[in-house]
Amino acid sequence: MTGGATWRSRLSVPWVVAVVSAILLAIVVMAVLAPLVSPADPARQTLIARLRPPGYVANGFVYRFGTDELGRDLLSRVIWGARASLVVALLSVAVSLSVGALLGMVAAWKRGWIEIVVMRLVDIMLSIPAILLAVLTVAVLGPGFGKLIIVLGLTRWPRYTRVAYAQTLQVASLPYIKAAELGGAGSLRILSRHVLPNIAGPLLVVATAEFGLMILFEAGLSFLGLGIQPPQPSWGSIMSSGRQYVERAWWITLFPGAFLFLLVLSVNVLGDWLRDRLDPRSRNR
Amino acid sequence: MAGYAFWRLVQAAIAVFGVMTIVFVIMRLAGDPTLLLVPEGATREHIEALRHELGFDRPIAVQYVAYLADVLRLDFGQSVVQRLPATAILASRLPYTLELALGASAIALLVGIPAGVAMAVWRGGALERLLATFVVTGQSMPTFLSGILLILVFGVLLGWLPTSGSGGLSSLVLPSIALGALSMATFARMARIAVVDELSKDYVRAARARGLSQGAVVVRHVLRNAAVPVVTIAALEFGNLLAGAVIVETVFAWPGIGQLAIQSIQSRDFVVVQVVVLFVSVIYVAMSLLADLAYAWLDPRIRLHG
Amino acid sequence: MLKQVVMYALLAAALASPLPASAQGKDALVVDLPNDAATLDPHVQWDTDSYTIYRNIFDNLVTRDPSGKIVPQIATAWRYTNDTTIEFDIRSGVTFHDGSPLTPADVAFSINRIINPAFKSPQLSQFDQIVSAEARGDKVVMTTKTPYPALMAQLVKLSIVPKAVVEKVGDQSFNQNPVGSGPYRLAAWQKGVQTALEANDRYWGGKPPFKSVTFRVVPDVATRVADLRTGRADIVRQLGPDEATALKSESQLQVLAGPTERIGYMFINAQSGPTADVRVRRAIAQAIDQKAIIEALLQGYGDPVNIVLTPANFGYVSDVPGYEFNLAKAKALVKEAGAEGASLTFLTSPAYDRRVVEALQQMVQEIGLKVEIVALDHPTFLRRRQGRPDEAGSLSLGRWSCACQDADGVIFPLFRTGSIWAKYSNPAFDDAVDNARKILDEKQRLAFYRKAFEILREDVPGIGIYQDYAIYGARKELQWKPTPNEAFFIMDMKWGK
Repeated sequence: MTGGATWRSRLSVPWVVAVVSAILLAIVVMAVLAPLVSPADPARQTLIARLRPPGYVANGFVYRFGTDELGRDLLSRVIWGARASLVVALLSVAVSLSVGALLGMVAAWKRGWIEIVVMRLVDIMLSIPAILLAVLTVAVLGPGFGKLIIVLGLTRWPRYTRVAYAQTLQVASLPYIKAAELGGAGSLRILSRHVLPNIAGPLLVVATAEFGLMILFEAGLSFLGLGIQPPQPSWGSIMSSGRQYVERAWWITLFPGAFLFLLVLSVNVLGDWLRDRLDPRSRNR
Repeated sequence: MAGYAFWRLVQAAIAVFGVMTIVFVIMRLAGDPTLLLVPEGATREHIEALRHELGFDRPIAVQYVAYLADVLRLDFGQSVVQRLPATAILASRLPYTLELALGASAIALLVGIPAGVAMAVWRGGALERLLATFVVTGQSMPTFLSGILLILVFGVLLGWLPTSGSGGLSSLVLPSIALGALSMATFARMARIAVVDELSKDYVRAARARGLSQGAVVVRHVLRNAAVPVVTIAALEFGNLLAGAVIVETVFAWPGIGQLAIQSIQSRDFVVVQVVVLFVSVIYVAMSLLADLAYAWLDPRIRLHG
Repeated sequence: MLKQVVMYALLAAALASPLPASAQGKDALVVDLPNDAATLDPHVQWDTDSYTIYRNIFDNLVTRDPSGKIVPQIATAWRYTNDTTIEFDIRSGVTFHDGSPLTPADVAFSINRIINPAFKSPQLSQFDQIVSAEARGDKVVMTTKTPYPALMAQLVKLSIVPKAVVEKVGDQSFNQNPVGSGPYRLAAWQKGVQTALEANDRYWGGKPPFKSVTFRVVPDVATRVADLRTGRADIVRQLGPDEATALKSESQLQVLAGPTERIGYMFINAQSGPTADVRVRRAIAQAIDQKAIIEALLQGYGDPVNIVLTPANFGYVSDVPGYEFNLAKAKALVKEAGAEGASLTFLTSPAYDRRVVEALQQMVQEIGLKVEIVALDHPTFLRRRQGRPDEAGSLSLGRWSCACQDADGVIFPLFRTGSIWAKYSNPAFDDAVDNARKILDEKQRLAFYRKAFEILREDVPGIGIYQDYAIYGARKELQWKPTPNEAFFIMDMKWGK
């Protein structure tokens, strides 16, 4: 399955990339500046103004996205939800990337029983459907923001390990690495100074694909009630509570859904574009 | 070839055994179901007595050895919630998931493959961009979002199809589309790559030189040759569909094994969780084993790298 | 092959297309439930959906009439021979679905089956005061450990199973093919999908109102409502207040709702954290705007309560006053306790209405306390809530029903020293509830409960917020009134005009 998702490179035309970059940038800015741009407190309830449609005005305040089932300003919740989405995705990729890359490099460098244990564990982890593995882990650790990052970090490292392992095996036989080893450099030094820079490209390719996936995982688990817990806003949990009201209050589901879709779309398209840059071989396919 | 096949088989067996162990340990760490089974007013003594009768007060290692011994005799245990053999519970839900996976595969294949072929044949054209946009949309849409949108449009606004549950073909349509969308993108991608590969081969140029039209070449030769990798992907994708069913079945209240898995995890019904995850993993491992063996059979170089 | 596929497709399409309401016939009733029955063996699982189904397949020893009074069912009469021995006359002429007669031996077997620890019944705790049951002629004699006033209330939940059948087929098979003596027999059980019952025309209690009843599993509440609208279902269980309000305006449908014995209450930890100070607990009690919760969130589908008990329970006293909603006084109390800005944790799980939890959080925050919601899955929630006081959180919501309509099943497990739920201890309270569970005289019992509630009012280890409603949606023609014990007896339903 080489070549990855390169068919999508047809979308890697300048104006498309420019548009999705702008969308991604807008969502990132929204998330970073949430306390400033959010028009209201995302937790502030007004029980007499529940389920009001977009454009509803009360006491001079315009609810541009309407209100949710507890009369909270939906726009503010969507803005704060962007923060949850991006932070969870970023941190869980960082955790799983570090754990996965380290294990893969060590397995390939040390060989022996470490290699056998690590690579069999990778096989095992990848044999359990990812979403089920995450749900099972939540059952042990419990739901919540920090726990979600741990759950995703703990369950998503094997993919990085596979790539790091295969790449390190190739790199390890290169003459200058052998030379460094003969020159008395320690394992740690060789792995961090010489091997890591050489395998960073392919790992980054995996990480970009995983980043989009992690956004979906966060939303999916929160949708199932296993991720970020209300009243903390997350797009997945807002949609989950909105589902019950979809007939009478479509906006609760639709607005966070639209933002989620735009975010994942822009991450996917940009990821492809980045992959084409990092992996010129695939360009003509 | 035999040596390679044997080595892969051992790997697969280790993976399945590992899955059994990991799921067992995770479920025991998550706490036992006794508290969920008793009525609200039960006292500590009642809870402890029931826990003892159910065997959950034994050390994990003891429970694990007993579990392995049972599995060797093909006894997968009895659900403490439903008081039925776990395999019977799995069997009663399995047809629904298979139905859904088949429906989703049908949609993924019937839309994905023609789209991929069209993208390959009309490379660089407006049609390719249009299809690529369509496919990337399918891929970026989380299943629970597409599920809710489908329910909203076809179930609530138009009233054409049931909004959830299982009751005949009409209720299968929406969940199949929601589940099939992701695989559809994968098939389109693979079909495009396979067809582009074939189109660049010498025999295609030769055939074109002989005056055959592009359409005829594609239909007569290219599709047949490109089918091999696509079929392999289809086998792997079936395993992914089973996993994707977890969320789709929850959104559509579809009574398959995905819904069963989530419900059983929440009610800490250990033996049901174990048997469902084991089943899905065995399918998944078997599919990748078959795919690998097929590749090795087609391409002898792989055996050496095994 | 192709022919089969086409046939199947046509069949499936026919099954799926909703029949017009008029053509649906008055002989069949379709019920939407949020969950499948866990077991149909009435001695195993104890959850509302299982109960809703199997209670129509089996008869119980005694039952409650619409007013809540305990009345005969399989037992026609009963009398205490001493404080711990009670004798039941067993109805004659009752037959099980397999044609065999129901005898006192079956009744004794049913009791002994459930109290046998090896049977591992989760319901054991409801019947464990019973030492033994014995068939003597046409009577059954039951002995309890101590004088036990709640016995009859518990026996309302005891279904009678046929000894011969259970012993012949075994527990597992009986669970899948239950045989009872009730108005309906099991026709087919498609797990996770639906359970079909058919009328038992020889039922001793009269002719069942519908020839067949189908209980379908529809977890999504919006779909249950849609099924009502399209005529796919005749009655649906467990609507939320929002759905009920939306249904009210529809001319073809009706909302059937009624108060239950279930009490919505807020637990306040009296043994750990800032709420260990009784002034903080009293302040919280005065910060709760019952009216806002009942009107805005429950939309009137709840009644205000003054104590942690509903009027549907024995032991309810109306003249122990509730708490006044008074933010100024509450803030002053918090200040007096030096607890301004103190952090409370509010434990919750998916079993509790998130909207109520979040509304309560905001109300308590109004008086200068910080409240953090800690959402757990239900098993973890139970483990912590029932665990050590320092793990149990400061606040949590509860919706409690003992299904026995007696104060003994509510405030004893909730607040008695040593109970797993109690994070509170007061010997005077313990004394009152201990005495109330040992005597059979109702007047004396009531006096003890009055005292208990007066103590709880001062100590505030929990606050009653509302009496919960059971809300059903149904077609207009269906005549039925929900009961406080959330029972779902098909025999009590019928089509009107």
